[in-house]
Amino acid sequence: MNDIIVKSITRLVIPFLQLYGIYIILHGHISPGGGFSGGALIGSSLILYTLVFGVDRAQKKFSHRVSEIAESGGILLYLFVGALGIALTGNFLSNKAAGFPLGELGSLLSGGIIPVLMIGIGIKVASTMITLFHVLIQEESQ
Amino acid sequence: MIEQLPIINLILLLTTALVIPLFKKQRFMVTLILSFVVLFIVWLSALYLLYHVNTTGAFYYRFGGYSPTIGLELLINPFSALFTFFVITLLMIIFIYSTADASDGIHEREYGRYYILMFILLFAMFGIIYTNDLFNTYVFMEILSITTCAIISIKRKKKNYAAAFRYVMLNEMGSLSYLFGVALLYMVTGYTNIELVFQGVQDVWVIYPTNIIIAAIFMIVGLGLKAAIFPLHIWLPDAHSAAPSSSSAILSAIVVKVYLIILVKVLFSVFGITIIEALHIPSLLMVIGAVGIVMGSFFAIAQHDIKRMLGYSSVAQIGYIVLGIGLASSLGLRIAFYHVFSHGIMKSVLFLSVGAVIYQRNLRKVTAYNGIGYMMPLSIGMFTLAALGMIGIPLTSGFISKFNLGIAALDGGQGIYIIILVVSGILNAIYYLPIIIAAFLRENPENQIYVSKDKVPLLMIMPILILGAFIVIIGVYPAIIFDLVDSAVSTFSF
Repeated sequence: MNDIIVKSITRLVIPFLQLYGIYIILHGHISPGGGFSGGALIGSSLILYTLVFGVDRAQKKFSHRVSEIAESGGILLYLFVGALGIALTGNFLSNKAAGFPLGELGSLLSGGIIPVLMIGIGIKVASTMITLFHVLIQEESQ
Repeated sequence: MIEQLPIINLILLLTTALVIPLFKKQRFMVTLILSFVVLFIVWLSALYLLYHVNTTGAFYYRFGGYSPTIGLELLINPFSALFTFFVITLLMIIFIYSTADASDGIHEREYGRYYILMFILLFAMFGIIYTNDLFNTYVFMEILSITTCAIISIKRKKKNYAAAFRYVMLNEMGSLSYLFGVALLYMVTGYTNIELVFQGVQDVWVIYPTNIIIAAIFMIVGLGLKAAIFPLHIWLPDAHSAAPSSSSAILSAIVVKVYLIILVKVLFSVFGITIIEALHIPSLLMVIGAVGIVMGSFFAIAQHDIKRMLGYSSVAQIGYIVLGIGLASSLGLRIAFYHVFSHGIMKSVLFLSVGAVIYQRNLRKVTAYNGIGYMMPLSIGMFTLAALGMIGIPLTSGFISKFNLGIAALDGGQGIYIIILVVSGILNAIYYLPIIIAAFLRENPENQIYVSKDKVPLLMIMPILILGAFIVIIGVYPAIIFDLVDSAVSTFSF
């Protein structure tokens, strides 16, 4: 897509899309949305980049290796935080029972482990979306 | 610490699946060693859990310590401990086989990925068996069917893609109709936890019978589609014959059984015996099982490809298990569970020994087995043993299954099904015996068969021999399995 208007608009829009995605992920525990919807926003911003600038440039920014590590890392973070509950004499995914501070209801730093889990889910969803898209495009060109 | 073991099993399996892609592709050995160590640890813990629940009793595991009315729950009782142990034991033996036979049509770059899929598969099966929540079961079921689809299509051939597409479409329909049933139950009871739903269903059965009936139909048909119960089996032969040999063994021996296990849970733990008897579901299941036994064998006779033949044979054997479940008595359920073991072991031996023949000589035609028994005595010998078990010759586990199924049918006043059992034994003989006769008693006219590998590696022969020994051991001493199965059956109330 070799069009100056599309390229400029994309350059302008992508930072805001990603910022909004991060906002939704971080506010997952106090407002609608969360890891999945925020991650989908970030993933679609990367898909937009691939559509406009081509898969080769997108691969330089976000290669298969990186997305593999991000995909595994997202769930590993989730599992690690969940397993902390076991270590702190609670059950898997224990929140208050394992002694995590719940904070004040409605503030950004509250909810114990839930914001951390949301970040893990967000990373996973964003990287999965972009990997699927790249794999589909590259299979077609082969 | 013991009550954390189930969740540690699940975490270990999932973590391994996530860590494997992080290794460098050349270091394939690292993947294999790590996988084996993890499988062994999980096997030990499953064994310990089996011992623990049979001595001290069942226990619950609650995620995050929430109460079961709002949270998720795992239930570890003799039933779930027994079947997780079965799954991990059989899978570990098949894993050893697959390390040597990874070349079966899988691209070299994908070797590691195959084990990722295997671990996610195992994770999903453990989740399904442990969980005490209907919706959680659905989530694990989706993971299981997507992973299975990937395992079927891993060979990257047109045939595999067609089989995988058909599999995923039909199984998605199965999952969704199961989910619809769960939604209808949630509508009238307000819970998805199996025990709470059970109580709720008993209370509202008189007020909202329509909901319960429709939910029961949707859940049974959905699970029947996924477990390949006879008229809904059309995806199974393609899918199981297209997959690599070790995966065919996993799919046919374990994955299909997991759906039957959910079916047992749904019938006896969710609806309860009084409701399903009132709906005449047991007698329907018995008829479906009996038709499946006969028709599956008829279709198997007509096959030319040996792996497709084994696939249709699985359809017939699932009929036995459904017949056992349909008797709706503790005797019937007991023999259904025993046959899950017995068929799991026999079908793994059949698929793995055929896999060894395909590995060495690339023979898939049923008619091409002339004289092969003398060239590959161990593999074909074990094939013969398992085939005799399928026919139901004494001293094998297949005999114990058929004999006790007959007794259970008589006990339930359903003597007519004994005729079905005898007919099915003859039909099984019609399609298994010609292969054995050709392999040992007929000369090979061309006297030279295309040989692609010099000999079958020891790692492939050993698992077949171990499983073959199991057929005889649990055929001669069925009490080993029956003791465990009896305590599993006692978790359901009749």
